[in-house]
Amino acid sequence: MDLLFWAPVVCCGALAGASTGFLGTYIVGMRIPFLGICVSHAALTGAVYGGLCGLTGPMLLPPALAGAVIAALLLGTLDPQSSRIDSNVLMGILFSLTMGLAFLGLGLYGIYDISDNEVRSLLWGSLNFCRWSDFYIMAAAAVLEIVVVAAFYKELRAILFSRVHAAAAGVPVVPVWTALLILTSVVLTVNFQTVGGLMIYSLLTNPAVAAFLLVKGYGKALALSALFGLLSGLGGFLLAAATDLPTGAMIVILSSLLVGLAWAISGLRRRAGR
Amino acid sequence: MKAPVVEIRSLRVRRGGRTVLQVERLEVVEGEVVVVLGPNGAGKSTLLKCALGFTRPNSGEFRVLGHPVWPSAAAPLCALRRRIGYVPQMLAAHSEMPLTVREVAAIGRTGIAGLFRRLTRSDWNIIDDWLERLGLADLAGQAYAGLSSGEQRKTLIAKAMVQQPEMLLLDEPTANLDLFWREQIVDLLQRLHEETGLTILLVCHELEAVPPCCRRLLVLRDGRLIADGPPENVLTRQMVENLYGSRLRLFTADRRYAAVPVGEAFI
Repeated sequence: MDLLFWAPVVCCGALAGASTGFLGTYIVGMRIPFLGICVSHAALTGAVYGGLCGLTGPMLLPPALAGAVIAALLLGTLDPQSSRIDSNVLMGILFSLTMGLAFLGLGLYGIYDISDNEVRSLLWGSLNFCRWSDFYIMAAAAVLEIVVVAAFYKELRAILFSRVHAAAAGVPVVPVWTALLILTSVVLTVNFQTVGGLMIYSLLTNPAVAAFLLVKGYGKALALSALFGLLSGLGGFLLAAATDLPTGAMIVILSSLLVGLAWAISGLRRRAGR
Repeated sequence: MKAPVVEIRSLRVRRGGRTVLQVERLEVVEGEVVVVLGPNGAGKSTLLKCALGFTRPNSGEFRVLGHPVWPSAAAPLCALRRRIGYVPQMLAAHSEMPLTVREVAAIGRTGIAGLFRRLTRSDWNIIDDWLERLGLADLAGQAYAGLSSGEQRKTLIAKAMVQQPEMLLLDEPTANLDLFWREQIVDLLQRLHEETGLTILLVCHELEAVPPCCRRLLVLRDGRLIADGPPENVLTRQMVENLYGSRLRLFTADRRYAAVPVGEAFI
């Protein structure tokens, strides 16, 4: 194995797993996993139109980020009571709208005779082609994630339980919730570029679910979810290298297996406790 | 003379083209235990939500602890909410995350501690003290989601009490509880008032949930205040019939009240 070539790939896979797994603790904790898929597809839409405007490579990041932030803020700030639409339904509407806009944009690539290969690869990701420059961007997003979580650690715990309870206790919910939504957009967009829209969803959901099955308490769940994400990213890559199977698929399957294992352990514990 | 903690003047709340709450004048003074009774849809929960600034009235004045709730900017509203303990009506599982009982109770200290500051040892001592006082110390490390409804309700009361509030608002704290837990919660409210002298505004629709320390009962119907006075004056046979129908008879013992079905259909 060419270590110089594969080292950034392994590091990107591990970091994507850890940072997305860490973020997933909040997304799954608040029962809004669909927010992840919605935001990442809004990022795809942003990238599609960025590409139509002639942007390429890392320059696709700003329009992708703009799409993700707009979608996250729309979902996060619309009040289901005043709009009379459940937030899951709103996510469904926004998801289909962003996908429609993305496919419309892809159609325009054909009309204007522009290559859409780079934009299409975003949906599936290109982990095996990650370079150190990608790793640095992902590391910056991971640092931002740690800073935001450290700054609002206890407020996020309150919001995780219930935004109504947090607001009633005098927690400034709006700025903290907005910060979490923007963080979600940044982490998903940055990782989406390298690991793809489909894989990012499994890394956002599975490590957190596995952690919730095994431990009690906020700090432990955050740490274990990040660890499971890291194991999925790293283990998935090593499995793929050993079997010559697709890396993305291996990461998804490994993270799903972790959920199965955690579920089995939790079931055995419950039986032993009876 | 005791200071008013709730002052309402010409309050009107309209939603969906109808008036859901209309109160001309109401004052609750420090240390009072006031129970707001009324059938479903009477405007009881709206009253509490107005007090916390969650529902904006269309007109009128609503002052809590001397401060106007509306119009109020976000920061003063947060500061006001930190002085009020609130136990909401819904008990649905809030989070997928297995937060512990101690962590849920700690939500009450989160706003008070302020942004960018950790909870101090003193905050955690207050939290542990209230868990101990409410008989939850043994459950402190347990996942909130794994508790019974009654234990969850007690945890939410602990969350409100760790704020060391000047007023406690409870929205149907005995709803969906069995008789054992209903009595536990009623006893707990009685004990809280005896020990702290706290002002309590309790919304419920069961007479059985009125604690003995309640010396003032408000009755809401269709958003309007139709009675206000001591329970023994307000809870007449006529009022019970008016609220709940003619097949219920009122029973009273040791400042507790119950509406019991009578008549041929129930013999």
